[in-house]
Amino acid sequence: MGLSLRHPENGWFPVAAAEDLPLRHVYAGQLAGHELAIWRADDGNINVWEDRCVHRGVRLSIGQNDGAELMCQYHGWRYANRTGGCTYIPAHPADAPAQTICTRTFPAVERYGLIWSSIDSLGDVPTVDVLVDVRDTVELVVLRSLPFDATPDHVMERLAGHTFAPASNLRPDAEPAIACDPMPGLGVALTSTAGRHSTTVVFFVQPVDADRSIVRPVLVASDGEAIDLDVLIHHAHALDDLRSLVEGEAKSREKPPKLSPPFESVADPSDAHREPRSAPLRVRVASKYDTATGIMAFELAPLGGALPSFQPGAHIDVHLPNGLVRQYSLTNGPHETDVYRIGVKLAIPSTGGSTCLHENVREGDVLAISEPHNNFTLRRDALQTILIAGGIGVTPLLSMAKTIARTGLDWMLHYFVQATDHVAFAPDLDRLGDRVATHLGLGADETVIELERILATTSEHAHVYICGPAPMLDAARRVASDSGWPDSSVHFEYFENTSVVSDSSEFEISLARSALTLRVRSGETILEVLRANGVPMPSSCEQGACGTCFVRVIDGIPDHQDVYMNDAEHAGNDRVATCVSRSLSDRLILDI
Amino acid sequence: MITLYDYILSVNCYKLRLLMSILDVEYTSVPIDFYPGWEHKGAAFKKINRLGHIPVIDDDGFVLRDSHAIMVYLASKYDPARRWYPVDDARLLGETASWLLFAEGTTNTASAARLHVNLGYDFDLAAVQAAAHRLFRVLDEHLWFQEHRRLDWVASAGHPTIADLAIFPDIALSEEGGIARRDYPALRRWTARVQRIPGFTAMPGIFPIAPAAVAENRPS
Repeated sequence: MGLSLRHPENGWFPVAAAEDLPLRHVYAGQLAGHELAIWRADDGNINVWEDRCVHRGVRLSIGQNDGAELMCQYHGWRYANRTGGCTYIPAHPADAPAQTICTRTFPAVERYGLIWSSIDSLGDVPTVDVLVDVRDTVELVVLRSLPFDATPDHVMERLAGHTFAPASNLRPDAEPAIACDPMPGLGVALTSTAGRHSTTVVFFVQPVDADRSIVRPVLVASDGEAIDLDVLIHHAHALDDLRSLVEGEAKSREKPPKLSPPFESVADPSDAHREPRSAPLRVRVASKYDTATGIMAFELAPLGGALPSFQPGAHIDVHLPNGLVRQYSLTNGPHETDVYRIGVKLAIPSTGGSTCLHENVREGDVLAISEPHNNFTLRRDALQTILIAGGIGVTPLLSMAKTIARTGLDWMLHYFVQATDHVAFAPDLDRLGDRVATHLGLGADETVIELERILATTSEHAHVYICGPAPMLDAARRVASDSGWPDSSVHFEYFENTSVVSDSSEFEISLARSALTLRVRSGETILEVLRANGVPMPSSCEQGACGTCFVRVIDGIPDHQDVYMNDAEHAGNDRVATCVSRSLSDRLILDI
Repeated sequence: MITLYDYILSVNCYKLRLLMSILDVEYTSVPIDFYPGWEHKGAAFKKINRLGHIPVIDDDGFVLRDSHAIMVYLASKYDPARRWYPVDDARLLGETASWLLFAEGTTNTASAARLHVNLGYDFDLAAVQAAAHRLFRVLDEHLWFQEHRRLDWVASAGHPTIADLAIFPDIALSEEGGIARRDYPALRRWTARVQRIPGFTAMPGIFPIAPAAVAENRPS
């Protein structure tokens, strides 16, 4: 197999038994000096991660597995199943963690009742003939593993002389004969025979560190052979005897220095996210189905590896075959990391985006998408969360509801929708139970009355999240304001900027960090001028609705034309939407 | 009313807080300045316990010392189901007593290492750490066998006993004494089970953990 315990970072080794990963547990493992936090999410996916929170270096193995995310015990940073991307930082509850905050992950494969991993992920998980050839007629029994304070080579050497009795004849006077079949770099297969009784056990050697090993035996039980607790105890005690021998010898041998694997630093944040309208991901349309009248659901699966982590409220840019770019919110909860699920409403009249997705894109097609951006973040520390959705605006709020429902905090989702057949993602809503209130077919005035009822009682411990068509969203914001809700507790996301944007003014922008002064002429946007002059700018909706292209204003009075910021934020004049907003003063000094 | 002569960082006091929390027994905690004041060695406290150590309880004038003796007393008096100290089953009671004695061993090794590192005690650190690892190996093997008997606890009952609570804090705080538990997966799973016992309470260094089985997106 070309593997060597002398170079334990090259190759695959068992790092845990499958039964070591019960529900909501974090197993503490180690391979080639790398300490590992190993956990199984409720969806069955196994994560093998570096056992270190990137924040303060605390071991993630003492953290909490909530079935979808692993939470560090120290400051509560949360990491997503599959990618290890940070999804929430309690000390910054209103901010989306940077995509680059990510724990180091290693591959995980379940085979022979063991979890296998590899530091450098080269090659494939080894196949062991004795365990594979007969797998249909035998049962594999994972025996008790044992850590040895001895080098992997030393353990391999002594395992060759290990003895045990056949499973069907444990009598001490059986005097079995042992046949040894070495598996270089991996372990040894031993067959014990006494009379007509015979049992094969494969002993894998896991190189924990230069001076430490774990022996993981797997017993091949013949057809119908009962492997009871006595057999497990026999093997555990036999291996314990071998350990005493090996560790006794190891005391007089020279101890190799421990491996000191480097901790890789968190990646530089100047990643693809800063590039204009980048679509670094390719996804396959795994599923496309009607979820309500005029609304198609799309499930987007990765072509390989895992999809980048996301937080509730996040959206992706979808680059369509016809060249258009459209934003869609993810409906996923934190426990749904295998595909991105979006809902697309057929716009009438369509400007080409929703028609293309509804009519031209088929299952199996490959689409280019951006990483998830999140400018509509959910606090996970509000004692009460009120989610108000209008029509297709339910998509980001569904993601939020799925998240908050896992916490035990108080929440409610109010879904204003035309009629029952317009209710999108009904099965998901059903699973959320009676905290989802559907308000069917209300006219504008009735909607306001219902909103007044919902928002009647303000609380400093509550936060409100609103998404829906502009008239409904405007009404909800007005009702919230009239009911005494502070702007800081009311969060919203418009699909689009329906107000008329004026681009007639002319002004100067000074870039404080780049020492550049540029002229924005009528008909041009700040964003266009920046890009034309080689300043890389992220953007998404390019109509002042999503918040992606905002920059900080150091001096000058912006002429706000976005619908992303609230009135207080507009009055603060410290940020500007470069895609639509302009300047009331002759010059804007920008912090870029 | 029960008075507990208490110190927040003491594993032996914590065992009693844990048991009383699980049994929902009310008590008043009287803090003793164990470190750095050595109040338990002072003349005043020695009138309460001639041996000069904590914990001690006073239950309406009945004064009792030694954590494991107090656990026997509290479980016998305040657990009407007679499960935590299972006097109705001779074998189970014997096992419970045996593992209570095992806890003396973990206290004298793992917790001794912690006292040496944290609270200025003078032990042979390497020796107590090595002795703790020997006990941990035995306990990890026992718990692995118990799991394969479909049993979750140190004694062979379908429920925990005071023996689990007596051993638990020495194990759960072992890293403070430089004793890693990475080698003991069955032991780590068992500590997680103890942390999920209804009524579990924390102490500095020992966290509660979320329930293992929360219904996904439960409605209320």
